[in-house]
Amino acid sequence: MADVMTAELAPIDRGVPSPSVGIAVESVSKAFGTVTALADVTVRVAAGEFVTLIGPSGCGKTTLLKIIAGLVLPDGGRVLVDGRPVTGPRRECSLVFQDFALLPWATVQRNVEFGLLLRGARAGERAAIARRYVTKVGLAGFEDAYPAQLSGGMQQRVGLARALAVDPRVLLMDEPFASIDEQTRRLFQDDLLALWSEERKTVVFVTHSMEEAIYLSDRVVVLSPRPGRVHRVLDVPLPRPREATDVRATVEFTRLVDNLWKILRKLQ
Amino acid sequence: MILTLRLGSVVAFLLVWEWAARVPVSFNFPSPLATLLALIALVRSGALPAATVTSLGSLLLGFGAAVIVGVPLGLLMGTVPPLGRLTRVYLDLLIALPTAALVPLVILSVGINVVSSAVIVFAFSAPFVTMNAYGGVREVRPRLVEMARAFDATWGQLFARIVLPSALPMILAGIRYGLSRAFVGLVVAELLLSPFGLGRLIMASRSMFEHDRMFATVLWTLLLAAAALALLGRLETRWLRWRT
Repeated sequence: MADVMTAELAPIDRGVPSPSVGIAVESVSKAFGTVTALADVTVRVAAGEFVTLIGPSGCGKTTLLKIIAGLVLPDGGRVLVDGRPVTGPRRECSLVFQDFALLPWATVQRNVEFGLLLRGARAGERAAIARRYVTKVGLAGFEDAYPAQLSGGMQQRVGLARALAVDPRVLLMDEPFASIDEQTRRLFQDDLLALWSEERKTVVFVTHSMEEAIYLSDRVVVLSPRPGRVHRVLDVPLPRPREATDVRATVEFTRLVDNLWKILRKLQ
Repeated sequence: MILTLRLGSVVAFLLVWEWAARVPVSFNFPSPLATLLALIALVRSGALPAATVTSLGSLLLGFGAAVIVGVPLGLLMGTVPPLGRLTRVYLDLLIALPTAALVPLVILSVGINVVSSAVIVFAFSAPFVTMNAYGGVREVRPRLVEMARAFDATWGQLFARIVLPSALPMILAGIRYGLSRAFVGLVVAELLLSPFGLGRLIMASRSMFEHDRMFATVLWTLLLAAAALALLGRLETRWLRWRT
């Protein structure tokens, strides 16, 4: 755990390729039948950086996330995580799904333990780690509840705890807040940022929401649709920690969101 | 409220039965009381317990085999789609087939013994157990498979941790339905084969015009089936607690 932490605390050197790069997507292309989902996509994410993928429907942002996760193999190009090419699912990456993907037959505790279980962790260790992350995401006391007894927001907290429990170096989030109501979403966004500054994972985050992209990210990658290409990469120079201050109310925040909207509007 | 309604329906049923016996609707129609007395007599004479042991032996043999063969077969069909598509046709045929028509064939090939009853019980229940296990695998949410794959799950882990628990509700429903089919098969087999178990007792009492004994045996078989199904139902609610 300790060596992982130091690697992730390496200084963020944006835009400049360096050995400490968390993720390198190099000229990746992918077609499904005759439909080109991604064409020559190159994205670099530094260790410990929070990058958001945004773009109109059909721009292949979820496909790109799955390629980084090793769930989908690209037709051309390659993805490097910590300098090594991705050839399949790997332990460095954890996924958080839009529809939570919880096991309905397992309690919160068991769901959070799931990744550890698959990796052969002993029962005692599993239980201790899972309990810690259940508490971290704010679900202490709900260990024995089943997913069906929880609200959408709470279910996604379970999904996040499950992803973090295996101590990944990269957190891949596929529209995690899309099916959660606005108030819950805002609280969850703040909690995610607090957790992120604590754990310092590299995050690749897919969203439809412009406010969410600006509020959370260091950089926003705008993808254009059919075929998906990198259209623009925006820096978000808002100071952190954003969850502690009223960043959403600042002129700068509004300007950045508006700027993003102007870019996206041309792509629709 | 539910309990009152249930009790009420039992009382109503007994009243109709009593009325039918008093009219009587047919020759030598036994009253509820006569049936109960015959039941007690059958139990005390040891005829009913002996027949029950014989019948339950065939049932357990045939139904146990149906579960042991049917569940893995259905799971295999579901996880190996080409096999599923190939086998499904035969399974559909077996389900549509009036299974009782198989009895002469079974007698020809196995002879008339306790095993032949078990074979018929198997033929009655196995297709349903298999079909439900097969359907259960098709219920698996692809997203859960994806989630486990993202955690780098092995094939064995995917099967044990995602496929099996996803299919469990349908497997259990199939086993429960299979059990009720097994009781049907048991009685059909014993009525047609005659020399064994509860079926023989029913046929023997019928031929002696001891209709109260015949009714008592039928009632007893019904109670056995109800008890077995209730037991399975309890196991189901226990194992599927998460669904409530």
